[in-house]
Amino acid sequence: MNRDILVIAKREFIERVRTKAFVIGTILGPIFMATLMIVPAVMASKLAKSVSITVIDAEGSLRTLVEDSLRGGTATPEKEKPEDPMNARPRNSGTTKFVVKPAVGADVAAQREAAKKEVLEGRLDVYVVLPPDVLSQSQAEYYSKSVTDFEGIRAVDRAIEKAVFARRIGAAGIEAEKIAALTKPLDLKRLRVSEEGEHEDKGISFLLSLILVMMIYVGTLMWGQIVMTGVIEEKTNRVVEVIVSSTTPRNLLFGKLVGVGGAGLLQFGIWILGLVGVSAASGSLAFLSGVDLPALNPVLIAAFPIFFLLGFFLYASLYAAIGSAVNTIQEAQNFIFPVMLPIIMAMVCWPVVMRAPDSTLSVVLSLIPFMTPILMFLRMSVLMPPVWQIALSVVLTLATVFAMTWAASRVYRVGILMYGKRPTFPEMLRWIRQSGG
Amino acid sequence: MTHALQLKNVRKAYQDKVAVKGLDLEVPKGSVFGLLGPNGAGKTTTIRMAMDIIGPDTGEVLILGQKTDKLLRNRIGYMPEERGLYQKMIVEELLVFMAELKGVKPAESKRRMMPWLERLGLGGLHRKKANELSKGMQQKVQFIQTLLHDPEILILDEPMSGLDPVGTNVMRDAMIELSRAGKTLIVSSHQMATVEQMCDRVALINNGEKVLDGRVADIKASYGKNTLILAFEGDGSFLKSLPGVAAVNDLGRYAEVKLAPEADPQAILRAASGKLKITRFEVVEPSLHDIFIERVTEVLV
Repeated sequence: MNRDILVIAKREFIERVRTKAFVIGTILGPIFMATLMIVPAVMASKLAKSVSITVIDAEGSLRTLVEDSLRGGTATPEKEKPEDPMNARPRNSGTTKFVVKPAVGADVAAQREAAKKEVLEGRLDVYVVLPPDVLSQSQAEYYSKSVTDFEGIRAVDRAIEKAVFARRIGAAGIEAEKIAALTKPLDLKRLRVSEEGEHEDKGISFLLSLILVMMIYVGTLMWGQIVMTGVIEEKTNRVVEVIVSSTTPRNLLFGKLVGVGGAGLLQFGIWILGLVGVSAASGSLAFLSGVDLPALNPVLIAAFPIFFLLGFFLYASLYAAIGSAVNTIQEAQNFIFPVMLPIIMAMVCWPVVMRAPDSTLSVVLSLIPFMTPILMFLRMSVLMPPVWQIALSVVLTLATVFAMTWAASRVYRVGILMYGKRPTFPEMLRWIRQSGG
Repeated sequence: MTHALQLKNVRKAYQDKVAVKGLDLEVPKGSVFGLLGPNGAGKTTTIRMAMDIIGPDTGEVLILGQKTDKLLRNRIGYMPEERGLYQKMIVEELLVFMAELKGVKPAESKRRMMPWLERLGLGGLHRKKANELSKGMQQKVQFIQTLLHDPEILILDEPMSGLDPVGTNVMRDAMIELSRAGKTLIVSSHQMATVEQMCDRVALINNGEKVLDGRVADIKASYGKNTLILAFEGDGSFLKSLPGVAAVNDLGRYAEVKLAPEADPQAILRAASGKLKITRFEVVEPSLHDIFIERVTEVLV
């Protein structure tokens, strides 16, 4: 590597790493992520939401059954084993704990009025109305100030459904105990098959991989923006002309990418070490006892810097080109969106790839260089793709990185000495084609 | 003799205008060369081409007789007109960084910067961040940055702009010292008076074209002593109607009178002393400023 690039990279690296933002971000990052991982786990095991509910039964025979079911199931007398806290989903009510309030009023209409009033006054969260023909029509009504508590709604739905089924089966002449036995819900365990054997995957080790994918996404955009801001600063400070009188704009651009990318990598390195530390220490931390923290997949950890750097170089070179062409950060905003589009598209494709990581569509998407850093890495964390696909994606992206940095350096060369009018995209394309100075 | 800088029929056009139109320029080694002209004359474009920051459309730029390259550029110190420092960097590290780009080792540049910081009144400020310094101080830091790699040629674009009178003097002394040490100085400015006394050669450019160049002494001699300086008390408005007066630049209590060929300065003095109280009377060579104005207006006419 050219010596000038090293000198510039060294300066960029030291200047970035020294900033307060870097130090604070580096320290807070792991805390933030640990919180992100631990809090839901702890919450799921130790906290449950309490919802007050009134059942208004116009049919007449269902209320007790529904209420029992909501309370946590005397309808299923068998005491459940304490569950894995990460997977804490009591079958009758999810994480929602229901407090049943009896309906007040002489008839159904009065009860509805009273319940409605209570909901509006905030003394009651939910009331459900079971119409007289609920057994034949299978329709009931859920009333609440908001109807977005999907988990709660599902629990209520299940409780009513269970009562209705029990009544229907009862009507067919089967005893209550038998009904309980016959309708015992199924516990579906999720098992991941891999070379090393089969283990129950509670979704959390997978969550950790997703954090790595998110880090690539956020890191690429964030450090790319930092490169752009740096370029604009050099331009507004008018430092840039002194530097390009000592070295080429291309060296300046590459030095900047290497230096800033290095700073980003250092931060992520510290974060990942932190994550590994938390994972390793979780066994000995009292408040985490019983909380199952995931192990990190070493292949993913090794692949992380590669995919982060590929993404960073790809997008940061575009950011640098934009930064060189504009005069202020405000002006840059107009150009940023088209540049971000592919990586946002990659995030949009996320569910598609996650559902079927080895489908043709997923393979094709993950081989598109601008999406590779996100989607190939995502595939690797869901289901390890064939090595040739990983290698191909890296080669394709590398080639694109070279093409992009080349094009960006040409825009950069012209842009950094241009002040005044903001150029248009066609003008920037002309700068790329222009030869010489 | 090889020239420090040589431009051969250099032309540079931007999208909408031609900035430099076939310029020839020769800067002898060891000279103090003034590149003069109004704003927008093409000075900065010319200098940027000399520094190989932008390439000419046609023509040739030679530094020390050769096509410029990285090693050759390390022998030049360049202070652009549009200049600035990394605002958040510590002065010492900033200077080390810039010198390192020119191939100077950090320890060496640290050793070299101290006397210069002292001498330009920045002693003890080397651990300050750039944005803690005043604008004039920052400019001096830039000046040090320009010469820390001990260049043979210094190209200074508007070196005095933004400096207070004291700073201007300090800067001028430093430049004179560098010139005595054998360096070639190329100084561009639109304020001709400030560099006129310092330069031994100048080129005047206007609209991308050379109007005039050569040794300052020769240029002035070719115009002869055709200017009369008068300081007076009274109403000098009659001066322009006196015989032998070509033009008057009347500033109220001071007038520069341009003489017609073969006019008699003594006759003018006699005519004026009857009506005015004369406090100063001097026959001088025209200033570069006047010569420039005259040449440019001639071209226009």
